[in-house]
Amino acid sequence: MAFTAMTKPQASDGPVPRRPPTRRLGVVVVDPLPVVRAGLSLLIGDRPDIDVLAEAGTAEEAVEAVRRIRRSQVVVLVGLGLDGEHDSYWLIRTVRERFPGMAVLACGAKADPTAISRALFTGADGFVDKNADPVEFLQSLRKVASREMVLAGPPTEWVGAIAEGIERRRMVEIALTEREREVLRVAAEGLTARQIAIRLGVRERTVTTHLARIYSKLGVGTRVAAIRAAAHAGLVSVGIPE
Amino acid sequence: MAIRAMETFEGPARVLIVEGHPVLREVVRTACDASPLLHVVGEARTGEEALEACRTVEPDVVLLDLTLPGMDGLEVARRLRGQGNDVRILVVSGRADDQTVFESIRAGVDGFLEKTASVRYITDALVRVAAGERVFTRDQERAAIAELGRLARRAREASGLVPSITPRELEVLGHLSRGLTMRQVASRLGVSIRTVETHVAKLYRKLGASNRVQALAKATDLRLIDLG
Repeated sequence: MAFTAMTKPQASDGPVPRRPPTRRLGVVVVDPLPVVRAGLSLLIGDRPDIDVLAEAGTAEEAVEAVRRIRRSQVVVLVGLGLDGEHDSYWLIRTVRERFPGMAVLACGAKADPTAISRALFTGADGFVDKNADPVEFLQSLRKVASREMVLAGPPTEWVGAIAEGIERRRMVEIALTEREREVLRVAAEGLTARQIAIRLGVRERTVTTHLARIYSKLGVGTRVAAIRAAAHAGLVSVGIPE
Repeated sequence: MAIRAMETFEGPARVLIVEGHPVLREVVRTACDASPLLHVVGEARTGEEALEACRTVEPDVVLLDLTLPGMDGLEVARRLRGQGNDVRILVVSGRADDQTVFESIRAGVDGFLEKTASVRYITDALVRVAAGERVFTRDQERAAIAELGRLARRAREASGLVPSITPRELEVLGHLSRGLTMRQVASRLGVSIRTVETHVAKLYRKLGASNRVQALAKATDLRLIDLG
C-alpha cells in the first residue's frame, strides 16, 4: 500500500491533517468450543494493543454481540466449526452484509481448501490456521483489520485449489436462482420432494420442477449428483468423500 | 513450506529448457552444462514443443519461460498438471506482477524467478526445485494471497452476494472522515483527483449515499469509521 505523495498538496487546501495514531484493535472471538475461546481470548487479551470485546459460542450470540459494538477497527474471529442452520458461513455472510465495516477472519484447525474457499467467498477477509504460531496469529488479526488478505497456515500450493473452489461456487451462484439454491440446500438435508414442499410452503410439483431445472443447469442426472456438485462448490454442507 | 517426497538423488537432474529466445536458451544451457548437478536433456522454443518434449524425454525439471510464441508458459503448466504430470516446474518470467505470480502458483508451478535473476541463481534454483523444494519469495507468496483475496471479492460481487468495501476505498473513507479534500486525499495517496473521485463515487453507491455527510454518517453506522 503506497502512501508516497507524488505531488505536494496545493497551498489553497491548507495543511494536511496528521494521521492519528493507530487505533486499538477490538476482537470478537467466536468458536463453539469454550476451551478454544478461552485460549484465543488469553492469547489476544494479553496484547497491549488488542482488546477482546466479546466471546460467543453460537452464530446468534455472535451477531448479538457484534450489534452492540460501537467502534471501528473490529475483527470478528470466526471458528469454522459452528454447525446447524446458522453455521460459520452464515455468520461470516451476515457480518459481511450487516456490518461491512468489520473485518472477518476465519479460523480453523483442520480446514481443507473447500472450507477456506467457502469462507472467503461468503465474505471472510482471510483465514488463519489454529495451529499457526501466536505471533503469526496476532499479525493476521492486524492485517485483516486493515483489509489485507491473509492466508496463514495453509501451504502456498493450496492457493490453486482455493481459487478453483471460489470459481466453482461463483458458477453455481450465477447459474442458479436464489429459490433454486434454497431448494438444493433443503434437498441436501435428505428430504423428499413432498417434505421440501412442506418446508418451503409450495406445491410438490413446484419442487420437482425446481429440481429438474437445477439438474439441467448443473449438468447432472440425479439428486445425489446435484447435492455432490453443490457441496463441492461449497453451497451446502454434507460430508463429501474425497 | 511443504516439500514433496524427496527422492533419493541419482545423478544430475534431467532438465528441459523451454525458452523462446535463442540467446537466453544458449546462456542457460551453458550454465547448466557447467553444473555437475544438472543435465540438459532437451530444449523447446514453443509451448507445443515443450509438451511434446515432456512426453518424449521425461525431464525431472522444466525451466519454463512464460512468454512463448503460440501457447504461453502458463498454459503449458496448466496442461501438464491437467495431464497429471507432476514434473517440477520452475518459471522464469519477464513479468512478475501479482496477477502473473498468482496465476503461476495457481497453475501448480514449483518456483518462480524473474528474468533479471543472475544465471547462477537460476541454476541454483533448478537444483533446489528438482530436489523437491518450492522456490518463491515472501513477496511472491504475499502477492498470490492478495490476488486470491481479489478473486474472492470479485466472485462475491459477480454473484450479487454482498457489496464489499475495498481496502483502498476504506483508506479513502478514512481520509475523508478526517476532513481532507479530494485533492488532499489524491496527493496523500499519490493518485489523480479523478481516481479519488471514482473511489468516492463507488463508496457512495455501496453505502447508498448521495453526498459526503450521508456517506460518513452511513459509514459510522456501519462501524467503518469513527467520528469522534
